[in-house]
Amino acid sequence: MNTKKKSTYWHLCIAGVVLVSILTFTPLVIPEGIYQPMLAGVPYTLWMGIVVAIVLVTLTYFGTKFHPGNGEEGHND
Amino acid sequence: MERRATMIKWVLIFGAIYLGVLVTLALVSRSKVKNVDDFMMGGFNIGYFLGFMTFAATLFSTFTLLGMPDFFRNHGVGAWLFLAVSDGVMIFMVLWFGYHLRKRAREKKFKGMSGLLTECYGNKWAGYVYFIGIFIFLIPYVSIQIRGISIFLDAAFDHALPPWGWATLILFIMILYSETGGLKAIMYSDVFQGILLMTVVWIIAYTCVQNLDGVKQMFAEVKIVNEDLLSVPGPKGLFNTQFLVASMIAIVLIPVTQPQISSRLVIMKNQSSMNRMAVAVGCFAILVILPTVAIGMYGAVKYAEHSTPDFLSQVLLFDQAGIIAAATMIGLIAAAISTSDSQIFAMSGELRSLLKGDEKKVLKSTKIGMVVFALAALAFSLISSNQLALLARLSFAGTGLMAPMIILAIVSPGRKIGMSIVWVSALAVLVFIASQLGILPPAVLGLRIDLFLFIVLGLYALVAGILGKK
Repeated sequence: MNTKKKSTYWHLCIAGVVLVSILTFTPLVIPEGIYQPMLAGVPYTLWMGIVVAIVLVTLTYFGTKFHPGNGEEGHND
Repeated sequence: MERRATMIKWVLIFGAIYLGVLVTLALVSRSKVKNVDDFMMGGFNIGYFLGFMTFAATLFSTFTLLGMPDFFRNHGVGAWLFLAVSDGVMIFMVLWFGYHLRKRAREKKFKGMSGLLTECYGNKWAGYVYFIGIFIFLIPYVSIQIRGISIFLDAAFDHALPPWGWATLILFIMILYSETGGLKAIMYSDVFQGILLMTVVWIIAYTCVQNLDGVKQMFAEVKIVNEDLLSVPGPKGLFNTQFLVASMIAIVLIPVTQPQISSRLVIMKNQSSMNRMAVAVGCFAILVILPTVAIGMYGAVKYAEHSTPDFLSQVLLFDQAGIIAAATMIGLIAAAISTSDSQIFAMSGELRSLLKGDEKKVLKSTKIGMVVFALAALAFSLISSNQLALLARLSFAGTGLMAPMIILAIVSPGRKIGMSIVWVSALAVLVFIASQLGILPPAVLGLRIDLFLFIVLGLYALVAGILGKK
């Protein structure tokens, strides 16, 4: 993959993390005083929070693939 | 009575194994130490798995197993957003900031963040401000580990030793271990602690869910006891949007500001190892916080009116089989030791990075510093409150205030940024402390003081970065 494409994907990952973080603080994830709809008995904010956490880890995983520092050498190299 | 005797028998067996492991690891690590960098920085050659386990064990400590269930019990499901979602963003921060930090660290021969800031700003006060800041806010963080485990052991062993006795014993083991084996020894013990913590927390959570007839029934019973626990902001209104936003900022900035974490980014073998470590820590975070939801909800149903120590000793010890209770106890001691020794060791590293002169003399001063920091933590643990999660958050927010000056120095090489951001950060730390002491109000313009200071410092750093001369 060329550097330009990689850089675009990296910036998309950053944008994704920022967007998900902002959405976390909206009623989409934290509706005040509401715990419906429940998923398998788990209240809404909790299962949505679990989904958000998984999405963030997934974005980080993709971030490692497109990070501009990939291939950087270590201290002793 | 018989149950307690079984538990104590297993505590002695597991305790002996744990001590044996510690002694072996300390001696093995000591035999591999050839120079000061090996002792303080693990030879700058840490692979992905060891890096992942040490990062995770340092981050997830007694605060996770003791503080988080209590947080869920008292304030409800919003605690997941407070920690797990914030950790999800934090690991992405590791990728971004870790890359820049490692680059700067290679250029400036990294010994610690204080020394690096002194170099970057060309002024020793930059290093001093950072060092004083972490001293003020990390000592409470170390103290809550000690405090948490001491009150727990006090309750579990029916006041056999006073809490300060337990605290002193743990600190003594920790100092002896760290001073013998150095950072590598701490990391090896982190692997042991991480595995133990994860195993124990899942077994306890499983028992809790079983006792309440499954997940669905568990939340149904919580609904009957206190419906407000199932949504934000929770029964006491703690998890409002401002609190969650400010907490996320403070937690995301941990890899930037807390030296026990930032130093672990620098000592990784290469960027790829660090990146893989970040993803693994994210998975670990979800897996280790998830069971604390069940433990907390179980507590909300069964022990809603109990004090924190009583709730914890009931749920973690007396409701468990003797062998599990014993493993939990050793796991908690291991967690307290591994997080505290990492923090105290990192503070000593910061001291070292500020000192100049003969390496042997510097190392001697560093080791003395380690003892002084441990004593300060012991003193604070005796007077701090039992609100472990909130004290941890205070520490995250306090150190977080120094993030803008660090980020500016690390990501703006070649720009003359001046010392003004350092002085503004120092002022912000003072304002924050004054607010915590009740001298200044807890909010400004309708914003929590920590959130207000984060915004002001962030904007100031942005302007200073843009206006900085190339």
